[in-house]
Amino acid sequence: MTGSFLARNPSVPLVLGLLALATVIVTVMAASGGVSTSFVKTLGMTLCLALAALAMDLVWGYAGILSLGNIAFFALGGYMIGMWLMTARTEAIVAESLAGQAIPPTPAEIRDAVGGQIFGVVGSTEFPAIWAFSGSLPAQLALVVLVPSLLALVFGWLAFRSRVTGVYLSILTQAMTLALALYLFQNDAGLRGNNGLSGLQNLPGMGGVPQSTVSLWFLWSSALMLGLGYVLCAWVVSGKFGAILRGIRDNEQRVRFLGYPVEGFKLAVFTLSAAITGVAGALYYPQAGIVNPAEMMPIASIYLAVWVAIGGRGRLYGAMIGAMVVSLVSSFFTSGQLPDLGLGPVRIVWVDWWLVILGLSFVAVTLFAPRGLGGLVDLWSQRRRPARHGADLGPDRGSFREEEAEA
Amino acid sequence: MTRIFKTALAALWLTLGAVAAQAGPVQDLLQEQGDLIEQSSRRTIQPAIEAIVASGLPRVQPVLQAWQDKALWRDGEGRFWRVIEEGGAEILVDVDTGERIGPAETDAMAQIKPNSGIRALIGTALVQFQLSDPDPARRREALVSISRDPEPELLAPLRAAIETETDADLHARKIRLERLLTMRFGTDEAGRVAAIEALSTDTAVETRAALNPLLTTRLAVVPAGATPEGNLARALQPGGEELSITAAYARLVDAGLAPARPSAADIRAALEAHREGGRVGGVALETLGDPAARARAYDALAREGLVPPRVEESDVAAMLGAHDFFDVYAEPSAAVTDAARAAITSIGIRVGALQGVDIGLDALSLASIYFLAAIGLAVTFGVMGVINMAHGEFIMMGAYTAYLVQQIVPDRTLSLIAALPAAFIVTFVAGVAMERLVIRHLYHRPLETLLATFGISIALQQLAKIIFGTQARPLTAPDWLGGAWIVNDVVGISHIRIAIFVLALMFLGFFLFLMKRTRLGLETRAVTQNPGMAASVGIDPNRVNMLTFGLGSGIAGIAGVAIGLYAKVTSEMGADYIVQSFMTVVVGGVGNIWGTLAGAAMIGGLQKGIEVLNPSNTLAAQTWMIVAVIIFIQFRPRGIIALRGRAAGD
Repeated sequence: MTGSFLARNPSVPLVLGLLALATVIVTVMAASGGVSTSFVKTLGMTLCLALAALAMDLVWGYAGILSLGNIAFFALGGYMIGMWLMTARTEAIVAESLAGQAIPPTPAEIRDAVGGQIFGVVGSTEFPAIWAFSGSLPAQLALVVLVPSLLALVFGWLAFRSRVTGVYLSILTQAMTLALALYLFQNDAGLRGNNGLSGLQNLPGMGGVPQSTVSLWFLWSSALMLGLGYVLCAWVVSGKFGAILRGIRDNEQRVRFLGYPVEGFKLAVFTLSAAITGVAGALYYPQAGIVNPAEMMPIASIYLAVWVAIGGRGRLYGAMIGAMVVSLVSSFFTSGQLPDLGLGPVRIVWVDWWLVILGLSFVAVTLFAPRGLGGLVDLWSQRRRPARHGADLGPDRGSFREEEAEA
Repeated sequence: MTRIFKTALAALWLTLGAVAAQAGPVQDLLQEQGDLIEQSSRRTIQPAIEAIVASGLPRVQPVLQAWQDKALWRDGEGRFWRVIEEGGAEILVDVDTGERIGPAETDAMAQIKPNSGIRALIGTALVQFQLSDPDPARRREALVSISRDPEPELLAPLRAAIETETDADLHARKIRLERLLTMRFGTDEAGRVAAIEALSTDTAVETRAALNPLLTTRLAVVPAGATPEGNLARALQPGGEELSITAAYARLVDAGLAPARPSAADIRAALEAHREGGRVGGVALETLGDPAARARAYDALAREGLVPPRVEESDVAAMLGAHDFFDVYAEPSAAVTDAARAAITSIGIRVGALQGVDIGLDALSLASIYFLAAIGLAVTFGVMGVINMAHGEFIMMGAYTAYLVQQIVPDRTLSLIAALPAAFIVTFVAGVAMERLVIRHLYHRPLETLLATFGISIALQQLAKIIFGTQARPLTAPDWLGGAWIVNDVVGISHIRIAIFVLALMFLGFFLFLMKRTRLGLETRAVTQNPGMAASVGIDPNRVNMLTFGLGSGIAGIAGVAIGLYAKVTSEMGADYIVQSFMTVVVGGVGNIWGTLAGAAMIGGLQKGIEVLNPSNTLAAQTWMIVAVIIFIQFRPRGIIALRGRAAGD
């Protein structure tokens, strides 16, 4: 625990530098027409996913809480910003169309027309109560952080105080995500049911700005938030707080017996992770254009864990690498650019087979490389673990001696 | 000469024969009423029909039927004949004997053409014949047609037909129908009330549908303090739950007691119509975005008499205050409406109780489905402690195996019998392979197991999608499983759900036997409690783990067959059950089969119980069920039946 923050976290300047460099390169290439707008968007979304993976690594890699609910916080962030985007944009459109009429509209008429536009698909024209702040950008931006944090706080308080840990906690968080998804699928939940919020790629009041510029703005803000998130996470895990988190991960009972309020630490890191994930979602969905409850189905929540595991949990840059590599490779395979492969009677269509490959490679990483892609950095930096006998048990159990882990 | 004679003789014989055939009571009867029949007037025909029916002759029914079907003809001499068509030819039939005489020469005959009113009268007359028809199917048909289209005239023949009914079921139906008709069309009040009271224990949909129209009301409005005429249901308060302010005011407008209230859209249209050079009623157009300015402009127009005046909220309130609102029954007799209300309440209670039973059955069947889906997990997760997220995919593999077996074996019953072991074998092998290749290397690392098995789950699901496509595959149940066991109009359960319940019970017994009474069960329990100790007394932990895992997977496969029969076979069917299955095991208490049973019962019961509150919305029920489970875990983190001591693992 000595030395400056940067000295203790040599990865921070490196990551920030690489991020800035990549952003500049992409910006220059986009300006010269070297990369398409959709690819810039893909990159921007990848940065948001990396931020979400970072938050996931904070709870899983450092505190040992495998939360399968983070995707719910991600989608909630998207919903919160989406409410403002939809309301503001629809208001602009409605005001424009009503302005052509002989008699200027009253505020109540505008409100009704906007409500009819937004909620017409679910057979309603009224604004539900949860849209009360949708007209105000600062309020919705605050909700982007507050709503996921509050959900995490309440859920975490309930779960941690009853000492639900390990796999049970994972299943419980998964159940929470499923419950939220099923709730949002209902039309009377007030968030347009399975239609979700759409048209989010159009920024209100920016009708004249082409998407190529907007996509760059989002790339920059995503990179900025990722950089800030990285510094924040590195700061959180590098001090005493981080040491206790790792202690909880490795042996919760011992930390409790040493007198630390384990539940409080867990709750704090879980809530922080939810807030970061909410911000990532709020930046991701305007680039994706649509957010709906299907984003929260069980498979999606495990993807986050997959990225972190493939990248190497327990190290922040590992989570980022994992999210970026998997998401970019995934968009490469599913883009349909790869020619089909004919293997006798079986025809390999990559769009279909990609999920099979992903699933199996995930098994392979778990079995053969518990340290993930981030483990490669150890080879390069010549950092060797102490020689312990037996199998490599990964970052948490790996701190045990072999006999201890077996017991 | 001989030939001429013979011909004449034959003609004479024919004529004689024909005449002889017509000399019968029905023909006489028809001749008596002949003029009325031929006249075919709705007003005068009734006595003729009544006379024909009153004769009580057995041959009357086909004649009436023919008359109704426009198949009754009259020849040149005024005699009546039935004419039937057979293979394109028209054949003359005697009305008395029903004998076929020969080809009909319809050119020389007149067809009796009853109009629709007369046909309806004949139909009513015919009903009593159908009601006592020897064929029960015809009697049933007649009852159905009466209940579909009840008429006051049908009451008398229906009453007459009750006594002679021999079939118990039809007898009960006739009595009910008689009561329904009496209730609606009866002439004396006491009789109607008696009929309603007799029906007040009857939960059939038909009865409920017939009782409700008796209580139809209309909204009556009178000056404050007065009471409207008729059979009052209740007084209404405008702005209350039953009568909104808008509806009450609309009623006043309908009755001509208040001026119509221009809506916001009306005001807008009126302003638009009366624009004059950038101003309306002296107010500038640009300012009309303000509601107050709009009101000012409109009032100005109203003062000039161009538009109807606005009605302020205070006027509405005053207008409503000056009137009283009542619901008045369309039915004039208070005794009848009181009896009907009492009957509806009493039926409502009974129906509620029966619905409770029905929901209980539903919950039981949902619980057995969850139990079936979770029992394999109770082995792999509950006993061995292995998190298998691919469990749902084993369920799916079982269902697809059954689908493939059904493609090979066409007989539904045989294919089902073959599918059960086939599904078990396929998923057993898959489970053993998975244990050997993946899970064995991840014991004591539950989170990694969770993730690795989830990877397998993704891969298997996608493989199924590639092989079988995304659309649902049918898994057809044999006919004997296709029907439903229907107790009455409210309570019923399909056979397939009963079969799933039985299957769940069988699995429970099998599991208990396996764990408590077999060598494998003993070894499994030993290995899960203390692998080192078990190994030292000569049990091979690897082999036992492999077999136990295979067994749990095999059970999942068989559950897949059952779930596939009940729901549909898709690549995502396993994923639909995985979270619920884990919750079942966790809520029940890990490591105890009775706990899994209790967990399934609780989750199924909760879901159905919540569904009662909002029956149209199963999504909401699932949401709140999960929330309830999360809260329940707060109070019993180790589940309903928690293991204690050494078996609990800590």
